[in-house]
Amino acid sequence: MIRYLLSRVGQALLVLMVTFSAAFLLLQALPGDAIMIKFMSPDMGLSADQIAEIRAAYGADLPIWERYFQTLANFLTGNFGYSIQAGVPVSQQLQVNLPPTLQLASLGFVAAIILTITIAALSNVVGMAWLRTAIQSMPSLFISVPVFWLGIMLIQVFSFQLGLVSVISPGPVERLILPVLTLAIPISAPLSQILMRNIDEVLAQPFVAVAKAKGASHTWVLWRHVARNAVLPTLTIAGVLFGELLAGAVVTEAVYGLNGLGGLTNQAVGNHDTAVLQAIVVISALAFVSINLVVDLLYPVLDPRLGNKLGIAA
Amino acid sequence: MFLAKNLGLLAGALASLASVAFVPGNAAAQGAVTKGGTLIYLEQQTHTNLYPPAGGFYPNGGVLNQITDKLTYQNPKTLEIEPWIAESWTVNADATEYTFKLRPGVTFSDGTPVDAAAVAKNFDIYGLGDKALKHPVSEVITNYKGSEVVDPLTVKFFFTKPSVGFLQGTSVIGSGLVSLKTLALPFDALGDATKIIGSGPFVVKSEVLGRELVMEARKDYKWGPAKLAHQGRANLDGIKYVVTPEDSVRIGALLAGQAQIIRQVQAYDEKQVQSKGFVIYAPSTRGINNSVVFRPDNPLVSDIRVRQALLHAVNAKEIVATLFSANYPQAKSIIASTAQGYVDQSAKLTYDPALAAKLLDEAGWTMGPKGLRQKDGKELVLTAYESLPQPQNKETLQLVAQQWAKVGVKLNVLAGDAGSRIADSLDPLKTPVAPAMVGRADPDVIRSQYYPTTRNVLMQKGGISNKVQTFVDDKLNGLLEAIAAETDPAKRIALVGEVQAYVIDQGYTIPIFEEPQAFAASPKVKDFAFEAVGRPAFYTVWLAPK
Repeated sequence: MIRYLLSRVGQALLVLMVTFSAAFLLLQALPGDAIMIKFMSPDMGLSADQIAEIRAAYGADLPIWERYFQTLANFLTGNFGYSIQAGVPVSQQLQVNLPPTLQLASLGFVAAIILTITIAALSNVVGMAWLRTAIQSMPSLFISVPVFWLGIMLIQVFSFQLGLVSVISPGPVERLILPVLTLAIPISAPLSQILMRNIDEVLAQPFVAVAKAKGASHTWVLWRHVARNAVLPTLTIAGVLFGELLAGAVVTEAVYGLNGLGGLTNQAVGNHDTAVLQAIVVISALAFVSINLVVDLLYPVLDPRLGNKLGIAA
Repeated sequence: MFLAKNLGLLAGALASLASVAFVPGNAAAQGAVTKGGTLIYLEQQTHTNLYPPAGGFYPNGGVLNQITDKLTYQNPKTLEIEPWIAESWTVNADATEYTFKLRPGVTFSDGTPVDAAAVAKNFDIYGLGDKALKHPVSEVITNYKGSEVVDPLTVKFFFTKPSVGFLQGTSVIGSGLVSLKTLALPFDALGDATKIIGSGPFVVKSEVLGRELVMEARKDYKWGPAKLAHQGRANLDGIKYVVTPEDSVRIGALLAGQAQIIRQVQAYDEKQVQSKGFVIYAPSTRGINNSVVFRPDNPLVSDIRVRQALLHAVNAKEIVATLFSANYPQAKSIIASTAQGYVDQSAKLTYDPALAAKLLDEAGWTMGPKGLRQKDGKELVLTAYESLPQPQNKETLQLVAQQWAKVGVKLNVLAGDAGSRIADSLDPLKTPVAPAMVGRADPDVIRSQYYPTTRNVLMQKGGISNKVQTFVDDKLNGLLEAIAAETDPAKRIALVGEVQAYVIDQGYTIPIFEEPQAFAASPKVKDFAFEAVGRPAFYTVWLAPK
């Protein structure tokens, strides 16, 4: 178990290192840089000499390998540098923007799971055929709704028309209601599609017939026998989706005017704010890697057979 | 139009204060000013670095204008320079020495005095920069040599060459005075609004970076611009800035009563706002009009006939009528009609496609098979990048492209990322055409816009671009240098008129419209005022109870 964990952590570190290097190289390959965008823009009205001085002060024209090792050393000591456009340390930006994004993503994810389970359960429990079809087609509807449009519609109806929640000066809980809903709906769509399909597949297996023959009710079979078997592929997708949630909050944050990593990324991309982007890429990679690690470790808990294959006692 | 509105506001404020209703003004009709309350202001973009000389970016200026005071105040109505932190000043004959007498008793919000030493340090940094702290030089201060503290309330500034624009330069957003503690911080730390300590009527109380900013009125503030009707502390108790990028959310929140003032209202949204009884404010930016400029270093547009043809092929009236509203007057020169030294050039700016076709024929560009003009096997295809801060700039350029297509010229309009945009815009071969606009209420704005070592909008040789081959216009540069050096105001204004005519005659610039800053406000908002180029000033604002 410990050996397995260590090798997985080692792999994770390797992935992070490769991500860091690739991000650094790709960001350097873009035309122009943040200093050029900030200071060479005619709005600053600076002369060629003044710009040269600024570039020298930032060490912007040092050889690429020198900057690479400098940045790497800084990252390892927890120094992410400064955002040239915003004029604040990147660590301060992360401090302000990381927690709300984590909060929004986690709550959105939980809400999506509740929605997924509700849809999957209802589609198997509801008796009326037309209603079942309607419930089963909900994921297709959810996945086709543009997040941007959904967000604006929710604001228009619930905030501006009905006046139920404020989007400009909301309370701590109030501010999350609509964004969480906006985020949960499109995320729940692929999850419930996969879960419903897997439930159907598991329901077709012989052991279900046996359980029913022994006198178990449909609901009993669903919860006791089918759910556990059907949830594994969903978990894999959920792991991938959660990582996407962190980055995918861009639109939700922009529509609701929330601060978070999404908005920060958006701005940093617009201004080639390399230091900010480098930190965001590494943090997102860290999130992806950790979540997939957690998902991998959860498999044997849900399915003991997998644990035996990996040589871990379940 | 805005002038009239502002006059009414000012008269209203005067009348209510003096309790003599000789003009039926807004405030007078409603009785006394209501004090207190918090204003909620929605900004489209988050502010960037708040180093005062970087205050030109409107979201930055919107913050700095409330928290910093300036040495002088430019009256937005008359454009005269009036006393503020400086009670009086003298300038020597050749404009190389300026002496300012400061108002006593003024303090920064950290308690330190706004005295000669502090003011001298501010301008030393703005005028010369600071390499160790990475502070860049201010655009509006030229030929700065140094300062001298004569006594605690007298400060003197010296210049290497005549610097006529300096007096107006002390009134602009980029010359906001900040505490020595703020100036001691590195440039990279000045994006945090709570670190900007000014002496203004409001103080930043807290900030959530990129999301919101809370300001509080300074109770002991008693040094507003001397000639302003309102004196003493600000009427409001506080202001809450909320960054709301999405247009429809800003407008919806305003109409639903969740906010009182919003910035950046597109022309197509004006009707919706006004039909509900809300008010559009569109103060002029009083500088260089929203225009399209050429980079004559590019051989495609090096021929004056080609540029003139393209000028006459643009129908600015159609652009304004299609995309904008009455708040965006059609341009009649390269600078706004409300700018100092404006001379009407509209006779030279006619829409005349027949003349355009004739000029292009004369220049040797003949109509090719695809409806595109050709010369020596080359097609007349030009490229421009859209400018994000300008209202509906992409649509404007696309309309220009349609109009040029009628005379056989193609214009590609690119969006591009910021890096490519800046890199390509320094290369005349890649961007023969570019959109342009600057807000500043001083004739110096023309020099700053066209001179090679400053904004260099025509991309002459001698600026920051190393891609320019040969193009230099010595006559234009001579005129611009004369504007910077001329100490006689009347002669200076005459030179400004000469430059306007020259730039249009050369077909360097196609002016399109006079750009306003567009705000929308609840009818409860009273005495909403602006500095000379359209940045909001919340000092006088008050909220009516109903």
